[in-house]
Amino acid sequence: MKRGDSLYRRLLAWLLLPLLALGGLMVFQAWVDARHTADRAFDRLLEAASLAIAEQVQWQDDRLWLDLPPAALDMLATDAEERVFYSLVDRDGRFITGNAELPGDERGDSESGDTLLYRNVEWQGMTLRQGVRRSRLEDWRLRERFEIRVAHSREGRDALTHELLRANLAYILAMALVAVVVLLVAIRSALRPLTRLRRAIRARDPRTLAPLDLPLPRELAELRETLNELLARMRRVRANQERFIGDASHQLRTPLAGLSARAELALRHDDPARWRDALSAMQATSARTARLAMQLLSLTRLDNPEYRPELTPLDLNDLARQAVRDHWAGCHRQGIDLGVECASRPVRIQGIDWQLQEALNNLIDNACRYGGRRITLRTHARPPFLEVEDDGPGIPESRRLLVLRPFHRGEEGGEGSGLGLAIVDSIARAHGARLELTQGTDGQGLIVRLRFGEESP
Amino acid sequence: MTRPLLWLLLGLWSLAATAEETLHYPADPEAEPAQPLIIHAALDLPHARPLLEAFHRHHPNIELTYRNLTTLELHQHFLDAPDAADVVLSSAMPWQYHLANDGHAQPLESDVARRWPAWAQWRGELFAFTFEPIVMVVHRDLIERFGEVRSHGDLLELLSDHADALAGRIVTYDPVRSGAGYTYAIEESRLSPRYWDLVSSLGRARTVLTGTTGEMLSGLEEGRYLLGYNLLGSYVRDAVANHPQLVMVVPDDYALVTQRLAFIPRLAPHPESAALFMDYLLSEAGQRVIAEQTHLGAMHPALSGPGTAGALRDEVGDALRPIAIGPGLLATLDRLKREALLARWRREFQREVPALR
Repeated sequence: MKRGDSLYRRLLAWLLLPLLALGGLMVFQAWVDARHTADRAFDRLLEAASLAIAEQVQWQDDRLWLDLPPAALDMLATDAEERVFYSLVDRDGRFITGNAELPGDERGDSESGDTLLYRNVEWQGMTLRQGVRRSRLEDWRLRERFEIRVAHSREGRDALTHELLRANLAYILAMALVAVVVLLVAIRSALRPLTRLRRAIRARDPRTLAPLDLPLPRELAELRETLNELLARMRRVRANQERFIGDASHQLRTPLAGLSARAELALRHDDPARWRDALSAMQATSARTARLAMQLLSLTRLDNPEYRPELTPLDLNDLARQAVRDHWAGCHRQGIDLGVECASRPVRIQGIDWQLQEALNNLIDNACRYGGRRITLRTHARPPFLEVEDDGPGIPESRRLLVLRPFHRGEEGGEGSGLGLAIVDSIARAHGARLELTQGTDGQGLIVRLRFGEESP
Repeated sequence: MTRPLLWLLLGLWSLAATAEETLHYPADPEAEPAQPLIIHAALDLPHARPLLEAFHRHHPNIELTYRNLTTLELHQHFLDAPDAADVVLSSAMPWQYHLANDGHAQPLESDVARRWPAWAQWRGELFAFTFEPIVMVVHRDLIERFGEVRSHGDLLELLSDHADALAGRIVTYDPVRSGAGYTYAIEESRLSPRYWDLVSSLGRARTVLTGTTGEMLSGLEEGRYLLGYNLLGSYVRDAVANHPQLVMVVPDDYALVTQRLAFIPRLAPHPESAALFMDYLLSEAGQRVIAEQTHLGAMHPALSGPGTAGALRDEVGDALRPIAIGPGLLATLDRLKREALLARWRREFQREVPALR
């Protein structure tokens, strides 16, 4: 696993990054607010000073006249000892008096009363906050317009901004710290059940398949249930395997014991004719045993979930005809009527040639073995299926599922291995087909049908 | 501020309009490394010399050039070549403040500067290093005839009661001709509206108006005047010492205090030497030289005794009103303000002038 790929990291990243972004935004907002507040507070000074100056503007000797109150200038300098500038400008923008020819402000007049405009200006390499007051003389007749421009450097404003920001920053930092700590604790405690689950699984005896039993939160409880279901399935599979092995060894032991007994019996005699009888009987038994072993092998192979052979396109008609050809002679010898009814068109499916042949062999074999006198192979195109019908005794409905299990014979004491239908069932599952057992057409006998899925193009 | 007016005003300031004088202290050839230092000042050599000599003893490696100019020349020189001087000293407070306010000064960053009283500096750029009261000089004849004059109130009373007897025997600055006189007029009018009563009383007593402290002092020494109003204390002390018939009175209701301001220009060619000099000027040692060897008035808070601000405070208490180093000084330089104030001053001065002859 990559180092970066951890739930803890993911949660932390997805929670912390937005939190940090939010924190950054808050700091920026706090700075903007602080600056705005400081400006608003200090702009009052510009307002008051410009008013104090404006009140002293008069009309005298046919021109604007100003008796500058020194206090108005002192007002503009706070403890931060700002640099102070002022100028008086007439209605045409001509400089009347002042210590600096400050720039004007382009913005328009307000609706009523004096116009007051504030802004930051760059003036001779200094950043100043300027206030412009447009006013007019309140004389009896004369209403001459004029403009007072006052400005001071920003030290006091910046100091207040920093002071306000520092207070806010402390608050934001404390909040961020608490949030981060809470986040870390929360993520850790949320992930703790996962650690518990991992420890519980790791601490288990590797051979035990007992269900996990520990209290977990809902999301992990689902995982626990899924695991338990898997374990239950594995338990069933293992039970099946154990039974299969037991049955298989039992099945193999019986003929081997028979062989051994027969050989022992034959050895007690000196008569070659007896030996011959014994040998032929032993040959038949060993052939059966060999076939049993073959079937066990193929069943094991079919049941192996890892075994996934390549599917090839097949025609069921060809398969059915081939099976009839293979078995016809044998059946004919036993007086069994073996026939085939093919669909009019080729029935194409995806399948494994040898497996389907094996299935047909088993079904024909079973039908012969359990007393069928007439066996019909039938194919059908839509839906595609392959069936084998016989007129034997059939299987009662209650036992049809049971006969699919290995070593379960339809009839106790028969000479079959009890593996045939189990093998057919495995083959059907390997082909994604359904195995159906039904009664024969005349109300007796048995139809075994392999119903394939519709062929995909 | 229109230029011609500025020059006019500055020209009027001349407290002691002397020709240009230069002092030069070569660097000690054995002291390393040699550092030049150029001081441009409006401070007479008798006041400056002890200070410069003491400084040079402390820092023999400094090659010191001192040029004494009138306040007008000083200002002109500075604006013509703002990178010529390392330190600028002047008693013309509004002009010094004007230059610093416009950003021509650089801050002095040193412990001495940080410890300097806040009211005697501005932004760490402009430093007041002297403490000179504006005083009255009273002739003993006047005291014998009319009693003691200890305050502005006494003066007003005296003028009201004996305007005719004193006609033409009082002298003061002409605010029209003298920049210093104009500055004092502005400051006094800010302090109290009763100043205008005093001006009209002075007018009624047909007070003589002069342009310099020197003129007033010589008239007082010769006995032409019985009372001089608003003289610069540092110049008066010598005269009083030499002329026992004169008495220096620091008014006990209020006394303006003017201070000489020093700054290092932003474009100073040798800022390290300049900082050394400023540190010395503001140090206890430098201030002690000012206290003991000049009449400028030392103002280091740690110093006491004759010639210090502390001693003056003990003498007249809360009456001292140092001219604030603040934007208010800019109003002094305003053209219209000057016209308005002078118009008022003239009006008040002539209000009660009896028809001559």
